Amino acid sequence: MKKWFSATVFMIALAMFVTGCGNNGNSSKPNENSSAPSKSASESPKSVDNEKEVQISFIHWRGEDTKVFNELIAKFEGENPKIKVEMSIFPSEQYLANAQAKLIDGTAGDVFASYPGAQFETMFKAGLYADLSDVGFKSKYTENLIKAGQKDGKQYAFPYQLVYNQPIYNKAIFEKLNLTPPKDWEGFLALCETLKSNGYVPIAFPGADIGPGQFMNSMMMNNNTDEEIWAKVETGQAKVTDEWFVKTLSQFKELNDKGYFQKDSLGTSKDIAGSLFAQEKAAMLATGSYMLASNLALNPELKQGLLAPITVAADQAVYEGIHTTTFLLGVSARSSKKDAAKKFVEFLSQAENAEKYANETGQLVTVNGVNYSTSELQETVSWTSKKTRFHPRYLISVAAIEKAVTSSIQEVIGGVDPVKAAENAQKIIDQNLKK
Amino acid sequence: MKHSKSLYLFILPGLAIYLLFFVYPTINGLILSFSSWDGFSERKWIGLDNYTRMLTGDSIFVRAFQNNMKFMISVVVFQTILSLFFAILLTKNTKKNVIYRVLFFFPTIISSIAVAFIWGFMYNPNVGVINSFLGNIGLDALSNNWLGNPAMAIYSIAFVQVWAHTGQMIVLFVAGLQSIPEELYEAVYLDGANRWQAFRNVTWPLVAPAATIVVAYTTIQSFKAFDLIFALTGGGPAYSTEILSTYIYHTAFQSSEFGYAAAQSMGFMVIIAIVTIGQFKLLRGNRAY
Amino acid sequence: MNHRNKDTVTGKTMKTIVLLMFSLLILLPVLIVVLASFKQMTELFVNPLGWPKTFSLDNYVVMFKEQSIGRYFGNSLIVTLSTIFCILLFASMLAYAIYRFSGWRSLVIYGLFAAGMMVPPQVNMIPIYKLVADLKLTNSLGGLIAVSIAIFMPVAVFILSGFMKSMPKEMIEAAAIDGCGEWQSYFRIVLPLSMSSISASAIFLSVMVWNDLLFPLLLINSESKKTLPLALLQFQGEFMTNFPVIFAGVIIASAPIVIAYIFLQRYFVEGVTAGSIKG
Repeated sequence: MKKWFSATVFMIALAMFVTGCGNNGNSSKPNENSSAPSKSASESPKSVDNEKEVQISFIHWRGEDTKVFNELIAKFEGENPKIKVEMSIFPSEQYLANAQAKLIDGTAGDVFASYPGAQFETMFKAGLYADLSDVGFKSKYTENLIKAGQKDGKQYAFPYQLVYNQPIYNKAIFEKLNLTPPKDWEGFLALCETLKSNGYVPIAFPGADIGPGQFMNSMMMNNNTDEEIWAKVETGQAKVTDEWFVKTLSQFKELNDKGYFQKDSLGTSKDIAGSLFAQEKAAMLATGSYMLASNLALNPELKQGLLAPITVAADQAVYEGIHTTTFLLGVSARSSKKDAAKKFVEFLSQAENAEKYANETGQLVTVNGVNYSTSELQETVSWTSKKTRFHPRYLISVAAIEKAVTSSIQEVIGGVDPVKAAENAQKIIDQNLKK
Repeated sequence: MKHSKSLYLFILPGLAIYLLFFVYPTINGLILSFSSWDGFSERKWIGLDNYTRMLTGDSIFVRAFQNNMKFMISVVVFQTILSLFFAILLTKNTKKNVIYRVLFFFPTIISSIAVAFIWGFMYNPNVGVINSFLGNIGLDALSNNWLGNPAMAIYSIAFVQVWAHTGQMIVLFVAGLQSIPEELYEAVYLDGANRWQAFRNVTWPLVAPAATIVVAYTTIQSFKAFDLIFALTGGGPAYSTEILSTYIYHTAFQSSEFGYAAAQSMGFMVIIAIVTIGQFKLLRGNRAY
Repeated sequence: MNHRNKDTVTGKTMKTIVLLMFSLLILLPVLIVVLASFKQMTELFVNPLGWPKTFSLDNYVVMFKEQSIGRYFGNSLIVTLSTIFCILLFASMLAYAIYRFSGWRSLVIYGLFAAGMMVPPQVNMIPIYKLVADLKLTNSLGGLIAVSIAIFMPVAVFILSGFMKSMPKEMIEAAAIDGCGEWQSYFRIVLPLSMSSISASAIFLSVMVWNDLLFPLLLINSESKKTLPLALLQFQGEFMTNFPVIFAGVIIASAPIVIAYIFLQRYFVEGVTAGSIKG
């Protein structure tokens, strides 16, 4: 029996060595990482200080903001030497998948970003948000822009960005051809035709990824002005085979059949569409204001504006564009470091930091007292006084239905008849109706 | 000789870690498939509901299965023929042949995600290599929306799969071909057979065991082509490249229906088993002896 | 040996042409990507196919300066080496036991692992995630290693016990008569004799573990613990259309396996073949 015992001990020791070697190997290496921008260079080596250092995790989906967040984090760590921020970014398509799992067990996301609407609701139901109603920095936000993070009169998260999810256009090209943003569908088609006949791609459309989900908002906003429409579709009270959606699909088809999208639009990702626009090969880009900055980075000469297609006659148009307040900053209810996490959110809510974020990423923010220095941001600001509608797609709460809807747009562009595509989508919706 | 008790110790560490991290989660997966769970709230036992939904009320599951079959059949047919063809050319262990084999094998060792980057660039409609190459040699008519055309996308990915794995199958076939005794060829050629007859009567029947392995392995690989599709198209456009493994991932991590995803994966496992066994039967049945 | 292919001169040229064409098909995409990694974005748009103007290393510098690719590399190395070491040790012990046990015990253990090869990862990935979370091992390399060991163990057991079956039992029995215990016969006789199949499995598994995406995607979330395939996925979001930079990352990530392949081709081919016989 003694042999049994000693051998078991040997095995356990071995197993510990093996798993341990993974961890040790890792923790003995932080210095090698000195080139990593997410670590503040000013930090002294670990565990020298007496007071305990906390590390908080910050997760979000905006890879393009890596640089500015690294700078902000370095500044924050300078002001709060006892707090370290580790940032993790998951691409937006996989964000829910990754964030959800990791937030549940509290391993990551002391501070986390989320989308408004369905994602906020899901995470709220799961009890993931710590109540932020009483934080002092709440007053730093514009009151009516943070409603997307409220529930039952309490503030659970702060929407950080104000985004317009409608096409961007190239002002220089429009001026050269003496074009102005049209007021009705006829005008929009005529605009596209002029652009096309002058050798431009009228609309760069990232059909492979975000295009359908983005462009559908402005394409449908006046075809059905009921803000509850998607909730009705989800419960079966309305159908996508109804006239308004078939009309929207037919208008997509019309744009595609007349060659107003770039060639092979369904194989085009948002990055490629963005670069077509930045190279001034395309006159419009069917994404949203969040791409203004990355376009500018690709081509500093670019003069950009926002417009939305009006799909009805001018006198029937109710909305001029689409807005969202998004990038909801929340503190995890499961976090053991809520104080440090709140400090970081507070830091981001300070006007000077929000201003840095806004001006470097080209996003409007919901924080008060921010001066927008770029012409893109000033252009975007002008939209705050227009009549815009909250991003309809975010009001679809069942992911399978959302996908069925965006897929129907891809189908139509791929050549399927709008009525048939709507039927296909409705079939999937019927299988996923909310009970 | 009787084995000694200490043999149990040989099993202990491996078995313990396997039971904990593989068998136990697998059983849990089975249990999960009978419940409804969104990842957050309490699990709810719902009996066979997930299975009835999968079999009767989920058109995307059917679609994903069809895509899987399209993908599998095109990969199996082309990859098997291609690799057998090259294996016959490269059977002998000459220096040149070994170099060719090593070269063809090369894509097997790079990660699917790297392969996806390479081919994503090749297929790209705007800066893409293939279309600009076709343009350069005056074959504009052949240029296509490789990954964006819903009717085309699954085959474009199948091509990448064949590109990446043919070399591996060549090696398997070469091993099979080298085990065929030379005398058999001498005998049929003495009888005045031509090359086709020699292939038909000697090579094919004797290479059948290797072919069985190649086909079975290709099938399993094609069912597991998750990384490649995930990174190339994510299942789009409009479900046209959604295969079962990506659909299960989406059900779990986009729709947060973990119970239903578990049921789908059980269905997936059964499908793989049926297809693999079916192939074995078919190939074994076809064998001359 | 010349009966197998009765080659004529035209036949030979045909054969060479076909082989060269296929070689081009394999190599060209790789070559284009390697060349692209030396170009700048604007150059790539104008000239996607040709030779770069200058072989600038800028894109590689970006990878090392702005990305902690060195760290991702280290993580991949730790995960791969620890996983392979444990799997080979545990699996060879299991295979030895399967070999030495007689009757139902041997069959049960073998069957348990062989069945594991049929289970697609989708079946257990969610419960695995939950288990690892309950053990508080998410986001740690240790957790990823433990899971990888379990996931890839069946293949290794399969290959190794297949090999050991071919060893003459008399040898062990003779050793036993000489007073060798099981441990000694395992370490002194069976292990040394199985080295060829162990190294084949090592290579096969290295390729699988090094390139694995699904489980790192599931289990790792912090920057400092990411493995290379996971980092590659992230570059896509961060550099967007900057193909040259992404390609530099792809090349750095693939380099170790490719270099190992150049030196150890024979073992790679054997290893992957051994692994695939599992079908």
